Amino acid sequence: MKCLIVFGLIVAAFAALGGYGYLVFTDLVKPLPKPEFNDNTYWGPGEEKDYKPDTKIYEFKLDVPQAEIDDLRQQLNRTLKLTEPLDGIAFEYGFNTYALEQFVEYWREKYLTKWDERQELFNSLKQYTTEIQGLNIHYIHEKASEEAAARKHVYPVLLLHGWPGSVREFYDFIPMLTKDQNISDYAFDVVAPSLVGYGWSDPATRPGFNAAEMATVMRNLMLRLGHKQFFVQGGDWGSIIGSNLATLYPENVIGYHSNMCVLNSPLAILKGIYASFYPEKYLPSRFFVDHHFPVWEKYLELLKESGYFHIQATKPDTIGAALTSSPVGLASYILEKFQTCTNPGLQQDFGAIVTVFGLETVLDNLMVYYLTNSATTAARFYLENVSKTYRDLQLDRVQTPVPMGCARFRFDLPSVTDWQLRDKFPNLKHSMYFQQGSHFAALEMPAMLYNDFTIFVRKLGLHGEENI
Amino acid sequence: MANIWVRFLVGGLALLAAIGYKNYLDLHAPGKRPDLDNKAFWGPKSRESVKEATVILPFDISVKPEIIEDLKNQLSRPLKAQEPLEGVGFEYGFNSKELAKVVKYWRDTYLANWDKREQYLKKFDHFRTEIQGLQIHFIHAKPTQVKGQAPKKVLPLLLMHGWPGTVREFYDFIPLLTTPSDKSDYVFEVIAPSLPGYGWSQGSSKTGFGVAQVAVVMRNLMLRLGFEKFLVQGGDWGSLIGSNLASLFPENVLGYHSNMCTNNSPLASIKLVLASVFPSWFVDSQYSDFYKGLGDLFGTILEEMGYAHIQASKPDTIGNALIDNPVGLASYILEKFSTWTNTEYRKLPDGGLTKRFTYDQLLDNVMIYYVTNSITTSMRLYSESMITKQMSLNVDSLPIQAKAGCTHFINEITHVPEAALTNKFPNLVHNTHHRDGGHFPAFELPQQLYEDFVAFVKKADL
Repeated sequence: MKCLIVFGLIVAAFAALGGYGYLVFTDLVKPLPKPEFNDNTYWGPGEEKDYKPDTKIYEFKLDVPQAEIDDLRQQLNRTLKLTEPLDGIAFEYGFNTYALEQFVEYWREKYLTKWDERQELFNSLKQYTTEIQGLNIHYIHEKASEEAAARKHVYPVLLLHGWPGSVREFYDFIPMLTKDQNISDYAFDVVAPSLVGYGWSDPATRPGFNAAEMATVMRNLMLRLGHKQFFVQGGDWGSIIGSNLATLYPENVIGYHSNMCVLNSPLAILKGIYASFYPEKYLPSRFFVDHHFPVWEKYLELLKESGYFHIQATKPDTIGAALTSSPVGLASYILEKFQTCTNPGLQQDFGAIVTVFGLETVLDNLMVYYLTNSATTAARFYLENVSKTYRDLQLDRVQTPVPMGCARFRFDLPSVTDWQLRDKFPNLKHSMYFQQGSHFAALEMPAMLYNDFTIFVRKLGLHGEENI
Repeated sequence: MANIWVRFLVGGLALLAAIGYKNYLDLHAPGKRPDLDNKAFWGPKSRESVKEATVILPFDISVKPEIIEDLKNQLSRPLKAQEPLEGVGFEYGFNSKELAKVVKYWRDTYLANWDKREQYLKKFDHFRTEIQGLQIHFIHAKPTQVKGQAPKKVLPLLLMHGWPGTVREFYDFIPLLTTPSDKSDYVFEVIAPSLPGYGWSQGSSKTGFGVAQVAVVMRNLMLRLGFEKFLVQGGDWGSLIGSNLASLFPENVLGYHSNMCTNNSPLASIKLVLASVFPSWFVDSQYSDFYKGLGDLFGTILEEMGYAHIQASKPDTIGNALIDNPVGLASYILEKFSTWTNTEYRKLPDGGLTKRFTYDQLLDNVMIYYVTNSITTSMRLYSESMITKQMSLNVDSLPIQAKAGCTHFINEITHVPEAALTNKFPNLVHNTHHRDGGHFPAFELPQQLYEDFVAFVKKADL
């Protein structure tokens, strides 16, 4: 009799534990409602009461004084005392010294001597600035061409870059979106801003400017330009900001397309672990298994590549001071990402950056960081997004009805499966796997990205298209 | 029916107990000493087939004047660091307003006085000798004796710095060790090397030169200098290298003293977890504020270890960003002298840098990294040590036979309680706590570290 009681107690204890576990589990994975969010926080310097808003739009043209270019060439002409790589090492320990020396020489002797040409290229797309919430925002604004507008449906699209990228990533992508193509019935009015704290946009002057605030500023920028409803496309931070925009302001977003589909809600993480045991069940084809699995391998790769993330998320001003004091240092730090974010780069190919992106293009992007001195403010974004204020918003757990399209490039950072995405994006209309390409998709294969984006747009059936 | 269930339950519990006990024994059992080549060659290819030069030569640390001139020019450039965010001290890293002050002092005061600083750095005798292909620099400070007093016994002491430190940390500590005092029956003959790849010691150009391999080089250095048995003292990497040395070469180590005792064996990890949940079982209540719970520990690791993460994975990237970059180097290195001296200093706009150190002291330390271009090679200790290849040597599970002394300065980043140290330090004769001081006690509180060290030596009853 006593044994039965003991046995009964043990069962009851397990049942209670199980029940409690179930409650905790459901609490952890249930979707959350859209949080209250102030869409008009003042982020400029000083007190808001002294702020006189200026809603005008100003033209922007890049015009770097020759003295600055000369000074940079002089800095790049110092005798470098860089340490040689270890025997037999290429890029396994970071950006290779010999490669860096070659880049510096090219930058100084070939690139900067043609700076006027590069500046002309920068200015070949129309640029403007306007003040949003106290911050001066720089952006490219290219309207659909006359021919395209005459024959096609025209929609606005907001393009968002990430780190260590810039608007330069979109220079081949934008003309595809605005011109008269025979591929799609759509053309676009493109708005491609420099993120706050990046490029020629002002940085925030007080703590708290995270990816939700960024999404708000970008949405307000679009409203300023008269676009109440628009598409959003982005990778890296651009993808996360776009996701926040679609979540906080679904009434403004017609469709959200991402080339870095990540999701870090507890449910997504649990699903990821579960799916790793039955990968083929949760993927459209077994050929795509290595986009996501094995989880352990992907995690270790991320650990190896995320030192920059860790230091920027904790000590952005320390690393920022280093990167703004030395153009060679800036080059080493940023070029490493262009090397490792490509397939040949991962194979330690010394020509990877040249083959995949081209030297001029990568140096153009580097110049954006150098000329605007934005390495520190760009790094601060990481700290703001790991802070408790941002994490408490738990935006990854908030559903949005906005239609979503996801493009996964093989050598990008690991993405999540559709099974996981649908918990946040129940209206996932389009999902594509590419067996090539990597992190900087707009730069590396703009035509593929353009193709994928317009397929996504078409699938929304905005003009009665049959579902393809 | 009940009988079967009872037998099942009892049987199951007995099995669990047996497994638990076997695991416990395994965890407690000392590991096997790994096979390390005491004569492994770590030098450049050009010297590989050359016979090792065993001569010990005095070393001139003088800096070429053109390096100082170039440095002055670089520090005269307009500072491009971004304004700190409103209301922020050092919470985002090195505050650029403070950085501007440091740079100004460096250029206008420190470098104007460079001859004096260089003379000061030469106050000890510097030497270099080739160990396993690498040029190893060290300070050799012989003890003094007081005339008319009975001479004190002399013990040799290997003193090792860490990252981002240098031998400069020991400039006020060494005289205390070499001068007779009423605090000790001993004086010490001090060998303070620059770690390989740091300061004036050459870094290896081969992969695989991790903390255990560095310990072999340091031990061979002591043998070269004629010291078969010696004491070891260190913090940071100095503590880890010393721990490896004492584990691998018990025949050479008289005693081991550290201000950052660590134990990375599995048993210690389990004990740390338990200590987090049941602190009173493991920690003396009067020192409970030294020992953080696991949650706090992980928070601290996340907050403070970004540098270690990038150095362990991409030392070439971050190294190349800091070489030839004096402002960046100062920011990166001096951040640690703020935060690791006291994490409360993160709240201060000046990082509390001058609360415990002078700008001269701090810049001496930065200058050593700068003029020797050693920042990249210094970081490789991380990338070569924090990998499975190094950890699989499992030196952590080798107990240290020598008498050991651990001391805890309260503002050190983390502390390991004595209960979690015992399987690594079975002869722990000294475990003290100081309610002051942080990660760099030799630099910050040399008198207190000296008194603690000689108290250990006394207890060790050598």
